[in-house]
Amino acid sequence: MNGRRYPAMAGILAIAIIAFIANLSFGASAMSPRSVVTALFAFDPDNYDHFVVFYQRLPRALIAVFLGAVMACGGAVLQGLTRNPLASPGILGVSSGAMLFVVIAAFLLDVPSQGQGLAAILGGFFGFLSCLLVTRLIVSSKEPHGLAFILSGAVLSMLHGAIANTIMLSSPSRRSDFLSWATGNINHVYVDRLRDFWWLGALGLVMLLAMARPLTLITLGRDKAASAGVDVTRITWLSIGAVVVSVSVAVAICGPIGFVGLVTPHIVRPLVGASFRLALPANAVLGAAICLLADLAARSAFAPHVLNTGIMMDLLGGIVFALIVKRYYLSASERGAWR
Amino acid sequence: MTVTRALDGRLIVRFAGGLTIRLADVVALSGLSLAILLAAAASLTVGSTPVGMADAIAVLWHGPDASDLSFAVWDVRLPRILMGILVGASVALTGAMLQSLAQNPLADPGLLGLSQGSMTALLVIFVFLPGLPQGWLPLAALAGGLAVGVLLVILVGRANAGGMAILLMGIAVETSLSSVTSILLLYTPPEVSLALADWMAGSMFRASWQSLATFTPWFALGVPAILFLGRALRSYDLGDQMAMSLGENLSFSKPVILVTAVLLTSAAVSAVGPLAFLGVMAPHLANFISPASGRARLLLSAAVGALLVVCADMLTRGLAGELPLPTGLAIVMLGVPMFITTLRLRSARRMRGQ
Repeated sequence: MNGRRYPAMAGILAIAIIAFIANLSFGASAMSPRSVVTALFAFDPDNYDHFVVFYQRLPRALIAVFLGAVMACGGAVLQGLTRNPLASPGILGVSSGAMLFVVIAAFLLDVPSQGQGLAAILGGFFGFLSCLLVTRLIVSSKEPHGLAFILSGAVLSMLHGAIANTIMLSSPSRRSDFLSWATGNINHVYVDRLRDFWWLGALGLVMLLAMARPLTLITLGRDKAASAGVDVTRITWLSIGAVVVSVSVAVAICGPIGFVGLVTPHIVRPLVGASFRLALPANAVLGAAICLLADLAARSAFAPHVLNTGIMMDLLGGIVFALIVKRYYLSASERGAWR
Repeated sequence: MTVTRALDGRLIVRFAGGLTIRLADVVALSGLSLAILLAAAASLTVGSTPVGMADAIAVLWHGPDASDLSFAVWDVRLPRILMGILVGASVALTGAMLQSLAQNPLADPGLLGLSQGSMTALLVIFVFLPGLPQGWLPLAALAGGLAVGVLLVILVGRANAGGMAILLMGIAVETSLSSVTSILLLYTPPEVSLALADWMAGSMFRASWQSLATFTPWFALGVPAILFLGRALRSYDLGDQMAMSLGENLSFSKPVILVTAVLLTSAAVSAVGPLAFLGVMAPHLANFISPASGRARLLLSAAVGALLVVCADMLTRGLAGELPLPTGLAIVMLGVPMFITTLRLRSARRMRGQ
C-alpha cells in the first residue's frame, strides 16, 4: 500500500489537470489545449477565443474545482466520523438545508447576494442538526449501521426541497432566475459569489487538514482516539463545523450538487488509504476532477441542449449509491443483520 | 349483509362475497365516506370563480349549460375532485398492499421508485413515440413501474435486510431515474416540457373528463382485483412462513398482487403524476383512526387517501391565485412529518417488543 500511495496521488493530480484543460477546451466552440494555455498565461483581450476561455469557461471551471474539493473532503470527513459509507454532505441534509435558507433569504426576506451566503451557512447547520434530531427521534437505541441517519437525511432533503420549491413558486418572475440554481447548476454568472466566499471554503479545508491526524484516529475508533489524547468531542464538532461552512458556501454558489461528496471518498480510499493527511488532498483533487468532467459532460454530451451539472451528478450518484447500499448492507455477510 | 358476533366478542359485518369487516371499521368507513363527500362539496365552491354551495349544488342538479358557473363546476372542478378521489384511493391502496406484502411499514410506491419508473417510461413514449393514443399510456407506465420493481428485486435479492436498506435502494433508483427524465425532458418541445413539468410534480391541474375516462377503467379493474386477491392479506401480515403454513400459495399470489398494485399506481401516475408519501401516509393515518387488518385496512387506507388528495387539491386550488402549488408538493410537505412519525412509532414498538 505504502509504495502505491504517491504514484496514485500523482495519477489523480494528472487526471485533474487533464480534466481542467479539457473543461476549458470543449464547449460551443472547441479549441486546442495549446490556445487554452496561451489564453491563461498570455491573455490577449482582442482574441475572441481568449475572451470566451477567460470570462466564461474559466469561472465555471474554478467553481467546479471549488465545489468538487469542498464536497469531496466533506464527504470523506463525514464518512470517517459517522463510520457510514453512505454519509455525505448532500445526503445528510447540509446541502438541502443551505438551499432552503438561501431561498428563504432571497424570496421572503429580500437579502442581497452577500447575505445569502450567510443564510446558506445557517441553513447548512440547520439541515445537519435537524437530520441529527430526526435520527435521534426515530431510533431510540444505538443502531449499528447508521441507516436511520441516512434515511432521515434523504427524507428531510425531500422536505427542504418541497418547501423551497413552494416558496419559489410564490414569485414566478424571480423563480426563473433561481430554477436552474435550485437543481444544482454551475453557472459563470455566480462567479462573484465565488470571489466573495472562496476564502470560507479554503479556511474550512485548511482547518480539516490541520486536524488530519486526530480525525484519522477518530476514524479508527473513538475510544482509541481518546486514549491517544485526542479531544474527541471537540475535534468532531470543529470538523463538522468546517465541513458545514465550506459546503454551504459551495451551495450558495452553484446550488445543491450532491453525490460528488459520496462518490469521491470511495474511489480515494482504496488508492491512498484512510490517513486523512494524504486522503484529504487526494479527495480535494479528485473531487475537483469529477466535477470538471461532470460539468463538461453536462455541457456537451447532449448538444445542442445543455444539462444542469447537478442532474448529471445525480445520475452518476444514484448508481453509486445503489452499489454502496448493495455492497455494505445487502451483501451475504450482512444479510438480515439489522432490520 | 348480516351482523354477527365474533369469537372475541366484537361485532362483525358479513357482506355478500365473503367480505367480513368489524362493525367499528364499517362505522369508520362510513364516517370517512361522509367526510369525502363533504370535502368534495366544499371543494366545488373553492377556486378563482366564487361559487356558493347552494349554487354549486343547483348547477350539478340541472346539468351542464353554457354559463361560467357551469364551466367552473362541471368542466374544471368536478373532474378534478373525482380524479382526486380515484387517484388518492388507488395510491393509498397500493401503499397498504405493498406494506403487507413486503412486511415493511415504510413501503411506498413513490419512495421505492415505482412511480418514477412509470414516469420515465412515459417520457420515453413522449419523446420517441409522440403519436401513441392516450389509452396506451397506462400500459407504458406499467412497464416502467414493473421494470423498477424487477430491478429492486434483483438488487435486493433474497437478502431480507429489511425496511430501510430496501427503501434507500429505492431512493437511489429514483434519483438516477429522475435525472434520466430530466435528460429526456430536454428533447421535448418547450411547450410540452412546461406541461410535463407540472405533471411531474404531481398535479391535478390537468385533470379533465377525458383523463378521467382514461383512468376509470383501470381503477374499476384494479381495485376489485386487489380486494379479491387481498382476501388472504391477514395471513401475509403474519409473515411468509406463517402464510404458507396457512395454505397460501405465495409464489403465485405475491407476484399477481404486486403486478396489480403496480398497475394501479402506474395508471394513477399517468393520470396526475407521482404523489410521493401518500402510500405511506394514508395507511398510517387509517391505522390511527381505526386499527384494522386485512381488507378492512385496505378500504380504510383507500378512503383516507381519497380524503387527503381531495383536501390537498382544494387547498392548492384555493391558493392558486397567489401560489400555483402542485398537489404533489403539498402532499410531500404533509407526508414527510407523517413519515417521520411512522418511523418513530415503529422504533418505539420495536423497543417494547424486545
